[in-house]
Amino acid sequence: MALSCPADSMQPVLLDLAATSPLDPRVRECLIQHLDEVHGNPSSRHALGTRARQVVEHARRRVARCLGTEPKGIVFTSGGTESNNLGLMGSVRNRTPGRILVGPTEHASVRVAAAQLASEGFVVETLRLKRDGQLDLDHATERMGEDVVLVAQMLVSNELGTRYPVQRLARLARARCGRVHVHCDGVQALGKIDLDLEELGVDSLALSGHKVHGPKGMGALALGKNSQTKPLLFGGSQEEGLRPGTENVPSIAAFGLAVDLAHEGQADFNKTAEICQRNLEEALTAVSLMHQNSMDCARILQAGERVNSICAVHLPGPPAEVWQHHLEEYGVFIGVGSACQSASKMVSPVLLALGLNADSARQIARFSFSRETTPNDIGIAASALRQVSKSLKDLS
Amino acid sequence: MTTELQDPDILLVRYGELALKGGNRALFENALVRNLQGALKHVGGGEVVRRWGRIQVKPAGRWREAMRACARTFGIKSVSPAWNTERDLKSMIAMGRRLLENKLQEYPPGSRPSFRVTVKRADKTYPMTSGELALAIADGMLDEDSTVLIQMKNADIDFNIDLRPEGTFAFLEREPGPGGLPVKTLGQGLCLLSGGIDSPVAAWCAMKRGLKVSFVSFHSPPYIGEGSRMKIRDLIRVLAEWQGPSTLHEVQFADIQLAIREGAPESLRTILYRRSMQRIASHLARRSKTGALITGENLGQVASQTLENLACIGAAANVQVLRPLITHDKEDVIVLAKHIGTFDVSIRDEPDCCTVFQPRKPALRAQVPECEAIEAELGLVTLEEAQVRASAKEHIHPGS
Repeated sequence: MALSCPADSMQPVLLDLAATSPLDPRVRECLIQHLDEVHGNPSSRHALGTRARQVVEHARRRVARCLGTEPKGIVFTSGGTESNNLGLMGSVRNRTPGRILVGPTEHASVRVAAAQLASEGFVVETLRLKRDGQLDLDHATERMGEDVVLVAQMLVSNELGTRYPVQRLARLARARCGRVHVHCDGVQALGKIDLDLEELGVDSLALSGHKVHGPKGMGALALGKNSQTKPLLFGGSQEEGLRPGTENVPSIAAFGLAVDLAHEGQADFNKTAEICQRNLEEALTAVSLMHQNSMDCARILQAGERVNSICAVHLPGPPAEVWQHHLEEYGVFIGVGSACQSASKMVSPVLLALGLNADSARQIARFSFSRETTPNDIGIAASALRQVSKSLKDLS
Repeated sequence: MTTELQDPDILLVRYGELALKGGNRALFENALVRNLQGALKHVGGGEVVRRWGRIQVKPAGRWREAMRACARTFGIKSVSPAWNTERDLKSMIAMGRRLLENKLQEYPPGSRPSFRVTVKRADKTYPMTSGELALAIADGMLDEDSTVLIQMKNADIDFNIDLRPEGTFAFLEREPGPGGLPVKTLGQGLCLLSGGIDSPVAAWCAMKRGLKVSFVSFHSPPYIGEGSRMKIRDLIRVLAEWQGPSTLHEVQFADIQLAIREGAPESLRTILYRRSMQRIASHLARRSKTGALITGENLGQVASQTLENLACIGAAANVQVLRPLITHDKEDVIVLAKHIGTFDVSIRDEPDCCTVFQPRKPALRAQVPECEAIEAELGLVTLEEAQVRASAKEHIHPGS
């Protein structure tokens, strides 16, 4: 069955780019070239193997350069989820169980990995947000102590776009905890803010390829000099034994390029994203005016210092999923964290952590941009928002 | 040394209730053969032959897949993978030893499973009685080193010899079939399918009683996303494994829901949606000469499923409505859904109805005259006829 999209004839406007992003044509070219031309196993000692090894190491150097770190600290993985799991579980499982401090808005791959560690004897505590949506560093400081073995805090929230003070948290942890491993989920930060592993002061940083127009199923964990991370899988010496298994050479090459392109394009992207966000705000004001009889208004949630490219948007009237499907009819694709159902289990814990109630949380949509998003895209979305607003005005 | 057991020569298929159908027996048996042939088509094909109260299947593809397909064909009581053997005692004993040796590999070392031999002698020309032959086979199969214990009732391992005019078959296993009656022997039904747990189970129950079931689903874009449409198709794909290729009618329902939402009292919304669905389904059923609507409705499962509401909804249909789950407990329905294979699809988080259409407090005792007056005022019949004309038909195959 074909995906029905009445706007099939027009180019879709993708504004759910924090979920995934299409392959950059240059990355696609790189992927295809390596699929066609590089057949060797990087562990083989003949010429074909050596060629494949060179490709992998070149990609590793590219990623390392973007993170201001040494290539030997880069471990290629299957993506953000695996990187977060390796960063958390691999770093503390071999230690005597202690306390683990986890950020309040972490991705499930961090939250659930921490829950697994809890079932293995570790004590997991969740840090708090302040009323303005920023991380409560005072509370974090209070919770720190010699028995804390791991602190995990994301750099940019995938749902809210909030930029969290990971550098300060890491410094506090070094000063107040004993031998602590600081892990950072950097998946949404890549290509949006400078990532310097040493500057951040973290021991591991998770990255994903498909969020920056790279291949799906490809990511990396960047490890700091003093990290003592151990593998979760066994049976091979690849990636310094931390990720055994024959390397996915074409995807690694494409990932290296995608990270490089994200890094190079960062400044331009941030400028465009700022304009896009401003235009989106104007569009939302227009929607609010159409709904002026209701108590609701359309607005971007201001949850502390944010990147411009991820906007959690409160939409008036019916649940955001209804807006999402209506906008699809106009070829505009946005993200929604929770489904159009009354069961509260479906509500995003991140939005609840921000103090929203279940009904309000269901009215939150996510508009997220990438470097391919243009103000023209926001113009199309603005027009679609106005049209949809007309048909949804009386539904709540 | 253990030798690898070769694949069985045939699948012995037994059928139950339809053997009682007197004059119609041939009709039911032929339908069962046809249904089996249809089921095998999707797993590499095979030969299906009717013989004296049994059906023999010779799979062309992988026998385990063929056995699974047979065990999902309504009308079948059980299926056994069986091996041909010569009619002489020595051959039967040799076959028994091979099967037993293979079977014992499933047991941990040192365990002593119970064992028996059963002989069925449809070929009465054999010189020994069934009992004598069973004893002789058991005696020949077991020696003083045997690790099995002879036990006549509820034995762990039951070695069967089926002596029939067309051949002698040996088997150990009996895979239970679903029972019931062959699909289509009792006609056709149209199931109002939602993405929930109940309606797919209701459809399966109707199939089991000999109905060929087609489906109607009501979709409300853009209030509901594509995921719900996929879910409906995935449910039908599972059900098609039980009854073969299935037809889906998809009806666009958002306009009707909007009209009801805007023009009817909030508490009656759900009743009116459902009455509208019954009218549309009746229309589709009559058009395809289908004798019954099938719903997953249940008495009292949710507060609004009262006798009055069920009657009020049912009154909108002009084809008889079958409600196979009407008195089932939810737990029982879930057990069935797991057995059928629809449960995991049903619990996927895809809404059936957008919250904007749901009433906060549904009526508990809706009355037909009141509903009819509102429906006339809203001109629902015209909207419904338009959606019947615009409905899309699709065929869904098992494993597609």
